[in-house]
Amino acid sequence: MDLNALLRELFFPGILLAIPVAWFFLWIERKVSAVVQQRIGPPFMQPFWDFIKLLGKTPPTRRGLHGALMKLWPLLSTASMIGAIGLLPVATRTSGFAGDLILLIALLEIPAICLILAGFTSRSLFGQIGSSREAVMSVSYSVVFMAALISLAASQHTFNLPDLANAPMTPMRWLAIIAIVICIPAKLHLNPFSMPKAEQEIYAGPLTEYAGAELALWELAHGLEWVAMSGLVASLVIPHTTSLGLDLALYAAVSLALVILLSSAAAATARLTMGLSVRFFWRFGLAMAVLALASELLARIKP
Amino acid sequence: MSYRIPIGPYHPGLEEPYKLDLLCEGETVRDAELNIGFNFRGIELLAEKRNYPQAIALMERVCGICSNIHTMSFCQAVENAAGITPPERALYIRVIMAELERLHSHVLWAGIAAKLIGFKTVFMACFAMREKIMDTLEFISGNRVNYAMNRIGGVNRDVTDPEGVLKVVSQLEEAVKKTIIPLFTKDRSVIARCRGIGILTREEAQLWGVVGPTARASGVPQDLRKDAPYAAYDRMEFDVPVQTGGDVLARVVVRALEMLESCRILRQALTQLPQGEWFGPENTRVPVGTGISRVEAPRGEVFYSVTSDGTNNPRRVRVRTPTYANLPSIRLMLRDADLANAPLIQAAIDPCYSCTDR
Repeated sequence: MDLNALLRELFFPGILLAIPVAWFFLWIERKVSAVVQQRIGPPFMQPFWDFIKLLGKTPPTRRGLHGALMKLWPLLSTASMIGAIGLLPVATRTSGFAGDLILLIALLEIPAICLILAGFTSRSLFGQIGSSREAVMSVSYSVVFMAALISLAASQHTFNLPDLANAPMTPMRWLAIIAIVICIPAKLHLNPFSMPKAEQEIYAGPLTEYAGAELALWELAHGLEWVAMSGLVASLVIPHTTSLGLDLALYAAVSLALVILLSSAAAATARLTMGLSVRFFWRFGLAMAVLALASELLARIKP
Repeated sequence: MSYRIPIGPYHPGLEEPYKLDLLCEGETVRDAELNIGFNFRGIELLAEKRNYPQAIALMERVCGICSNIHTMSFCQAVENAAGITPPERALYIRVIMAELERLHSHVLWAGIAAKLIGFKTVFMACFAMREKIMDTLEFISGNRVNYAMNRIGGVNRDVTDPEGVLKVVSQLEEAVKKTIIPLFTKDRSVIARCRGIGILTREEAQLWGVVGPTARASGVPQDLRKDAPYAAYDRMEFDVPVQTGGDVLARVVVRALEMLESCRILRQALTQLPQGEWFGPENTRVPVGTGISRVEAPRGEVFYSVTSDGTNNPRRVRVRTPTYANLPSIRLMLRDADLANAPLIQAAIDPCYSCTDR
């Protein structure tokens, strides 16, 4: 086994770094929305204490396969996010392997699939509606997300993340990055794309039946999604300098800025309906797919 | 796939307990069933066991938002039965309280509507503004919710500083113009959520007998302040905003424009406030007979009928609230609506179950 990869998963940027950062980003999300709404907002340690408090609760006993599956989905979600974060080219020039982008895409998709399955597993009506909404949404935004990543990969002829991160900036690349940023609110169920968890319509959607440690893991997975998605964008955006410290500082700054930007956008918008959101992503997705293809063709024509 | 989604009696999309069963096909609502009565308190019967001043305090508790309207219409009904005319200053003070209450109610509704479309920032902005109106009401009456302003033949307290209230009204008008109206008429995500949903045509509105802003948003120009003026409304100059869209956006616009009209009425009432007595007669004997009263509450027409048998207690008190008249139309508006819009559509009539169940 590759020791370096194991260390990256366990310590940096994996579990040891990603989990505290996830709580920090959850706090930023709540604090930004509080500031926009002229409230005080939660104390700094609140997401951490929420996690601890939820761990102490006793969830309802569910026997057999049903209970096992209810536990499996949040675990799988959290694990896949940590895996994805471990793959991100943070402060490194050498890590990665051929095709790690494909693995990253797969890992980033797993929480959405787990959420859909969790809603149906919970046997709650609201969970089922939430899951079907999440399924429709994930089909819609994934087209845009994939098209953006494919256009990046195609222009550089590589599926290796560090190579992609180190590639020079072009207008086409900025377009792809913007497309990825637009997908993040949908992936994270933030306004205006918060339909799968629309509280006023279907309670907590797929998570309606969740409690205790299982819910704590879902919350953690949500925080980790923030880290993974903002990290992915940051690694594509920042220019790689000669100083490792400067690289890290830029990386952190871009991630933080993205979290603040998207949290403010979530606080400043209403929730759309399924029809409006799906239409938005399909129209946008179509444009992106055409652009992605065009960029690939251009890259092939050029020597 | 068709299924039945229960909304309520306890649901994050509802402020008060009532039950809406949505029969859905996928994300489309095919039909809806309404159940009310979770909050029944028997106030009408209780009123028969109290004397008139006690019944006023009881009627104040019919609704937590339009508490003043209920005591005002109760007092007007008793005044009609007893043949009393309150002093001019008292009538103006009643108008001031009623309009401040309308402002408060509409701002509260705007906040709730924003919350239902997931726009919590607007909810916070609306409730911050509502706080100012409640402070003004407290400044006048000493109370924030149950103002205890009305008495038979007059009002309990005077408006001692009309200029001070006038300043606050100007501030509120600015806030409505700068915050509430642009948020609900210009914000693209709000318009996308409100336009073309929950449509009630003019014919349907008349057929189902809807009242208040719900009727005015469907092009029915009815407003008791104009059609059958009470208190000092016949001395006020104001317009009745009417929209023809019949959708949720039209209801939003009607209420937003009504807030501006309320500010206009308030300014007139406060500047023209006549000098003189306001308390009315010390004791009132109500002769045998029935008095009725109709007033335009923030949600529509409130009707009170008070029957006296000549004793200290009313013989019968009957209340008809606007929500009760508007409720059946929800079913009509919900048919073939998107499930995501259902909470907003049911809230668009500004339902008050506390009044309905009383």
